[in-house]
Amino acid sequence: MRGIRLFFLELRRLLKSRITWLVIFLTVLSPAAGLFLYKPASSTMLSIYLANPSIAGGLTGGVLFGLLTVYELDRAGRSCTEVLLNAAVSPLRMAMVHLAALIGTAALTLAAVMTVWLPVSRAMIGSVFDAGDYVLAYLIFMGLALPLGILAAAAAFQFTCRSDLSLVLFAVFAGLSLTVWAENWQFCWLNPSVWALSDDFSNLRIYRSAAYMRFTWLAGLGGVWTLSWICIRQYGKGLWGSFVRNARRIYRPVTALLLAGCSVMAFVGQPMVDRSNPDETVFSLDEIPYLEEVVCSGRSARVFPDTSAGTVAGQAAYQFQNTSGKKQKVDFAVTPGYRISSVQVNGKDAIYELGDYQEYNEAVLEVEIPEEKAAEVTVEYGGFPRENRNMSSMQGSREISREYLCLENAALAPRLLNVQPDEGMYPAVIEITLPDSMTVIPFGTAEAEIVKKQDNGTSTWRYQDHGTGGIVYAGDYIRQDIEAGGIDIELYYGRSHQKIMETAGAAEAVKTVVDYCTEHYGTLAFGSGGSLKLIQSRVSGGGYAAAGASLLDETDFTAANLTDSRKGAGYGEVMIHELVHQWWGLGCMFDNSDGTDPWSAEGLTVYTTFRIAEKLYGEEYAEKNYLEQWRQAAEEYYLNFYVRNPEYLAALPEDRQLEISNSLEYVRQYCEMPLKIRKAEELVGGEEAMDQILCSLFSRELDPAYPYLTYQDFLDACGLKEEDLNLDQNI
Amino acid sequence: MIRIFKYECRRLLWNKFFFGFFLVTLFYGWQILTNVTILGVSRTAPFSPWSFGDYLCRMIPLLWIGALFFLTFFHSARARRAAVLTNTAPAHPGKYAFARCAAAAAGTGLLMLAALAEAAVFYGGYFGWHNWKTLAQPAFISLAPPLIFALGSGWCLGKIKGWLLYIWMLVPFVCMALPLPEKLGIWNGSFFSEYPKTLGTLDPEFSLPAATAVFQGVILALGILLIVRGVAGKEQKRDR
Amino acid sequence: MKMKIHNVSMTYPGGKEALKEISLNLESPCLTGLLGPNGAGKSTLMKLLTAALLPTSGAIYMDGQPIIKNIQSLKAQLGYLPQDFGLFDELTVAQFLDYMAALKGLRDHKTAVEETIQAVSLEEKKTARIGTLSGGQRQRVGIAQALLGNPPFLIFDEPTVGLDPEERIHFRNLFSKTAQNRLVLLSTHIIEDVQSVCGQIIVMNQGRILFAGPPEKLIQKASGHVGVFFEKSFAQEDGLHITARVNTSQGIRCRAVADRLPAFARPEEPTLEDAYLYLISREVAK
Repeated sequence: MRGIRLFFLELRRLLKSRITWLVIFLTVLSPAAGLFLYKPASSTMLSIYLANPSIAGGLTGGVLFGLLTVYELDRAGRSCTEVLLNAAVSPLRMAMVHLAALIGTAALTLAAVMTVWLPVSRAMIGSVFDAGDYVLAYLIFMGLALPLGILAAAAAFQFTCRSDLSLVLFAVFAGLSLTVWAENWQFCWLNPSVWALSDDFSNLRIYRSAAYMRFTWLAGLGGVWTLSWICIRQYGKGLWGSFVRNARRIYRPVTALLLAGCSVMAFVGQPMVDRSNPDETVFSLDEIPYLEEVVCSGRSARVFPDTSAGTVAGQAAYQFQNTSGKKQKVDFAVTPGYRISSVQVNGKDAIYELGDYQEYNEAVLEVEIPEEKAAEVTVEYGGFPRENRNMSSMQGSREISREYLCLENAALAPRLLNVQPDEGMYPAVIEITLPDSMTVIPFGTAEAEIVKKQDNGTSTWRYQDHGTGGIVYAGDYIRQDIEAGGIDIELYYGRSHQKIMETAGAAEAVKTVVDYCTEHYGTLAFGSGGSLKLIQSRVSGGGYAAAGASLLDETDFTAANLTDSRKGAGYGEVMIHELVHQWWGLGCMFDNSDGTDPWSAEGLTVYTTFRIAEKLYGEEYAEKNYLEQWRQAAEEYYLNFYVRNPEYLAALPEDRQLEISNSLEYVRQYCEMPLKIRKAEELVGGEEAMDQILCSLFSRELDPAYPYLTYQDFLDACGLKEEDLNLDQNI
Repeated sequence: MIRIFKYECRRLLWNKFFFGFFLVTLFYGWQILTNVTILGVSRTAPFSPWSFGDYLCRMIPLLWIGALFFLTFFHSARARRAAVLTNTAPAHPGKYAFARCAAAAAGTGLLMLAALAEAAVFYGGYFGWHNWKTLAQPAFISLAPPLIFALGSGWCLGKIKGWLLYIWMLVPFVCMALPLPEKLGIWNGSFFSEYPKTLGTLDPEFSLPAATAVFQGVILALGILLIVRGVAGKEQKRDR
Repeated sequence: MKMKIHNVSMTYPGGKEALKEISLNLESPCLTGLLGPNGAGKSTLMKLLTAALLPTSGAIYMDGQPIIKNIQSLKAQLGYLPQDFGLFDELTVAQFLDYMAALKGLRDHKTAVEETIQAVSLEEKKTARIGTLSGGQRQRVGIAQALLGNPPFLIFDEPTVGLDPEERIHFRNLFSKTAQNRLVLLSTHIIEDVQSVCGQIIVMNQGRILFAGPPEKLIQKASGHVGVFFEKSFAQEDGLHITARVNTSQGIRCRAVADRLPAFARPEEPTLEDAYLYLISREVAK
């Protein structure tokens, strides 16, 4: 009771201090820094007007409250009232009261910030404003930074008993978060890794990730603070003497250890990202040799996403024909984070092993099948799907909520790795049970339909597909049908995005792109009677395409883009890029076995995207946003010290080597190759001539033994040699 | 005054603040070297004068803070209480202040040496590179003017009000946030990453545009002037 | 050494008038005690004597020369212990004194440091960090730094604060011995210290000098104004300034000073404390 009384006394005293009010005032203003100075997130309205202000508010508020903490804790020593205070209240109790009062002040400040900025955010964000997002963003991105700042500064002061040293320690701790730790989502305690918030769909995954980081640090700094609290100087003893004396009450060191232990465990055992191989040039899972005399005749999966918890549970069954007469080991790719609860073969428990090695967000599940000819493997799996650690600073893709869901390949059901198909080409039946409000859209040619409606407000959807993996999208989508290039296009986008899509003329844009490609390169193979799905995903920073489907990033059509005068009522290039992939990049177009080969689907696709942008937005825009960027990136690549001096790269530690080489790799596919194609275009006589060449390549006769379009095919069609397309180092 | 200098050094450098700051400098420096400098700046080697200069620019805020913290030993409220005794001594106030300022400079120099030595260890360990002569010029250009200016301006501000030193510590951070003109690039870290690109050659030798050289020279001269003026000027009279 | 204070007034920037046209002559050898209630202007006077403050009007002369023109010379001959001072906690006692010796420009600094450490009985603590010393020990370090180099003019502001009785006696004797060939100005609240060693006393109140002269003369002034009586009721104490109240077997024995002693009070021989209180109470009554 006395502690509570002291808390209110201290809180009142704090709120009477002018310095406190200055800190509160500056913290209330600080979200404005996110609008002008500190802008880590971009693209969407919520990123610009909610994520950035709240992160900037957290950053500034955390630092300000850290400084206030040092100032307040030093006050007693400064004014020589320490002796008087210590005579009345135990310094340990007083430290707790100080901490509680500072955190209480921080809570009041946060409430003030949220009240002041609510109408401002609402007005700036406009129609996509969401109260839930507002509260979560301010609580997690901003609110939790304040107690972290207070705990860190208080711990530094309690350890050192010096305001100067505490300030330095705190400044460095904050500085590290803002600089060298900024790219590490678990380390950047002050400025969480938030690269974008979705306007049209939910953002729970990124909130979970940021909150997890914050709670890990809260526990960690809580532990450090408790340790520093035990070290509070008493009885004229120094740090160690006071520690020994204060630690006699065993609950104190135990609490510190527990908190620190929880933090370390939370840090090490984080459930958000996996342990994928950082060397992204390795594709060992795709190189597992196929089993001889074993084929897969079909598979099915029943998937039950839990939209509240963000988890998935499922049961997948695979039918095999084993004609080898001996036991075989079948490999599946499983999304890290999923646990395998049971594996049965022909109704009996089977021997299986889930490997530790992870690559491109997949781990390997090995199941032994018996000698018998027919084997049905049933796998029960489930859990919280993790994301690829190599993309850890861009989390959010594994969003699972009542508004949005995307399950890709192994996240939907274990993906078969080393068994060839029979003539049925892996027929698959997928059932997925979701809330009634969600529409299920398989990414590809398959169509899903509701087969059962449950009383609990969920519906079971079913679709049939082919292949070892598969992607499914679900959400509150609406569909718009478009006809272009002789094919039917189903355009799916979020219901809340309808107004923007209509204003931006999304349907017209799609039509323009498809018409362009059809006119220049030819009709898509499934053109007559076939259909193409164009599905809007939540903000992802990129996209992909498959036979019969392409992705449309929500940032392609945003309110922010609509006001971008450079494009008029423009739309983004991700949509164009992924639509172009329908021409360049699907089926057997490119040999993907060497992921590091500069000749890939991306070269021609990026080049075509540039051509379309040139047509739509004008030469100046295309020159500035494509050619110039490629030139710059390619030049940087050629001139990079490690590219020029690989012996130095080889001398570095392995993790550093990978980090550097990964960052350089993409330039060759996405920038150098399009530039070479552009050079080829100049050498063959201009855009028209190149269009004819590309058209002939698109509709070439395929060699069944090696159906891929090679770089040599391209050079031959252009009548050029490889060295003709070498780029000057000074591009 | 040598004895005063010796004792002031002892006060400044033989305490947990200095040891703590020293360790923090090493830790922060290592984080920069292994995460940023290792990549090299402006297409140059991590051990090029440019990358090295970039590393030093990133260390400047910490060294600046360190230099000003040393000055708080002379301008804090506690120090003013001790000044009641020292002010009655017949020592020449200018010489006395110079000895103290020299001690602060020695502390700052030690921190600077720590940052340089750490880079030497990094370059030797990671790249087997030891050609230190080439780095002397960027080290001098990037470190000497701001740190001497920090000492000079800090001394003068501290004489006015001790707490002004704490406000002054924020200057490098403000510089980093501001879009400074090219000539002042060393002050927001952009010089070493941007200027080499404009030289039109690969791995350019270290050079300095005249405007930047003049500006750094002016800052250095201003720093020295402020030190001279600060130590020679009268201490503020305290009434009570 | 001769110090002459001529018509000195001091008004602080806030408007507080700390000294009002005071004049005074001090000449060595002499140990002068400066007495007065809080806010009387004692510390201001000492700050003026150390040239830490400049008078608003009037002048202070050292050996006939105004000190404002001879500050270096004054400082070279001055040892000063202020009432409120700080020390360098990071240094040891010996280091700090050596530091001060360096500042004072003492040639044989080692001997000087050793001597003062001995004089203030801090031999055991000479290698201890100042931050670890008790209040009394810090005070002794303060006294030691003032004594360093045997300056001819010493000013001590409340030097015995925080010292135990034994130490007080020790320092009282030390000051007395020191004053044999020097000018020492001792400001204190402890009248006992002054009574036993000071050859001259200055009593100040509200920025004015009420008395300056030998202690006997001050005591003489209070003669016939000090009495004792046994307390019967509080009403009888009206108009009296009670200086002591002692429980005895016959009741509470009161000692009082007054301009006119009442009939029930038996006259007593005044002490210096009685005289000082009589002087101040008379001033307050005015």
